[in-house]
Amino acid sequence: MAFTVLDWAIVAVYLAASVAIGLAGKRFVGSVSHYLVAGRELGPYIGIATLAATEIGTITYMYNAELGYRYGFSSFSAALISGLVMIFVGRTGFVIRRFRELELMTVPEYFEKRYSLGLRLLTGILVATGGILNMGVFLKIEGEFLTTVSGIPSRYLILAMTVILLLEMIYTVLGGMVSVVITDFLQYVLLSVATILVSAYAVYHAGWGHIISKVSSTMGQAGYNPIVNAKFGLTFLLWQILLWFSVNTCWQTTAMRMFSTNSPETSKRVMTWTGFIFLGRGMLPMLWGIAALTLYGTGAMDKGVPLPVLNGQTLMPIDAMPAMLAQILGPGVKGIVVAGMLAATMSVNSSYLLGWSSVISQDVVLPFRRLLNKAPLDSRRQIFVNRIANVFVSAFLMFWGLYYTPPGAVYLYLNITGTIFLAGAFASVVGGLYWPRANVLGGYLAMITGAAGAIVPFFFLHWNETAAGLGSFGLAAVGLVFGSLLGKPSGAQPGHSYAIRTKP
Amino acid sequence: MKAWQLFWAASLLIAGGSFACITLVVAVKGFRDLRAVLRRWQEQKERD
Repeated sequence: MAFTVLDWAIVAVYLAASVAIGLAGKRFVGSVSHYLVAGRELGPYIGIATLAATEIGTITYMYNAELGYRYGFSSFSAALISGLVMIFVGRTGFVIRRFRELELMTVPEYFEKRYSLGLRLLTGILVATGGILNMGVFLKIEGEFLTTVSGIPSRYLILAMTVILLLEMIYTVLGGMVSVVITDFLQYVLLSVATILVSAYAVYHAGWGHIISKVSSTMGQAGYNPIVNAKFGLTFLLWQILLWFSVNTCWQTTAMRMFSTNSPETSKRVMTWTGFIFLGRGMLPMLWGIAALTLYGTGAMDKGVPLPVLNGQTLMPIDAMPAMLAQILGPGVKGIVVAGMLAATMSVNSSYLLGWSSVISQDVVLPFRRLLNKAPLDSRRQIFVNRIANVFVSAFLMFWGLYYTPPGAVYLYLNITGTIFLAGAFASVVGGLYWPRANVLGGYLAMITGAAGAIVPFFFLHWNETAAGLGSFGLAAVGLVFGSLLGKPSGAQPGHSYAIRTKP
Repeated sequence: MKAWQLFWAASLLIAGGSFACITLVVAVKGFRDLRAVLRRWQEQKERD
């Protein structure tokens, strides 16, 4: 079904409103605290909106739908773990409460407070590298989604990517977190409406009974039971639990929302309720993927599933869901859904641009200047450095998105690039907050072994993602313990400096 | 297999239901939150 004038009008109104609202946010930016953590003024509901919008993008829909298409209901296990771990972290305040009490602006900043300036610099470099590589595949996949659903010829893919990036960059560079929070609210509401609409359409068109029988006939038990599914199994589930604990505590864009709340208690409430949203964030798009398998999975077998075939053309599994939406959504609804997906895209990308550029400016450039004994920068200059970093990250994303295609499922690529810094950061943060013996040598070893444990096996030895990911967390934990026992005690006093409480 | 089907169907219902309900609550109460935050940002900016 073609994109109609009504659909284009809906998309144009959304884009104009989003950019205008984002630009209006610039007038509230007074200091670097406003620019990076919104002045720490967010209440629970706007906190939930901005956290959910930050972690739900078109890329999320695409990789989850791909997982659903390839692995059926077994993929739901990943969504279940992500939501349950988030609810646990929110209820207990594990790491996030103490992080919020410390009034941080970035995760690597903690490494200087607890360990050393040098470790903050190393962590900043690893966080920025892993984060930017992770985000590097977003644009291309989002561009593919939008061109497929709207029917724009694929030769305009690069143009679509450039326009998306420029629009979100304009207001992120100028208004920072303030603009991101304001636009996130609008984008969260719109993307949620689109998510619910698409779920209803997908089940209606594919039919629940047909969905069940397609998964059963194609995958058998492996389509439902993650433990017997060859791609998953117990090691995958264990890796996912560790990964989601680390994402919910140490992932820069998530942590920035916790730092931006008006109190530690608010940060716990935001995390808990967003955990329930995360169940749907994973399972609903996975269901779309399974619906696409049901409707179009009639091609040659590829890694245990039939490739999608539409109008005589064979597609890749990741393209099945947008191709399905192009077919089943009617005029007007398609415009709302594309506007919703654009909202999802812009909310994630703007937050990620801000997150990674803030690490480059606050945790790489500024510490490096201090190591060179240069004078500290005032608030206005820090914002300027952040804006330059933002433009640099955007330029890299265009380049990487055009020239790199991840091998295998995109979800697993994103997991492993995140693990580059998450494994070491999680071990160091948990050790730093809850184990007085943790010291600088342990922190260095955790970061280095964690990063090497992800990079070497995945990029050079071509191991599967689960082995590399789980090994990386194991190595980081061993590195922290070994280094801390071997090196000098940190001098941290139980109940005080290892928790580094600055304010009640 | 039947037990897994029921488990995932129930999980999906809970996930979809909570997604829709929380969206509704956040859309209404989040707007109030946002207005309050905008007011405080404006006051802070004027103080600075």
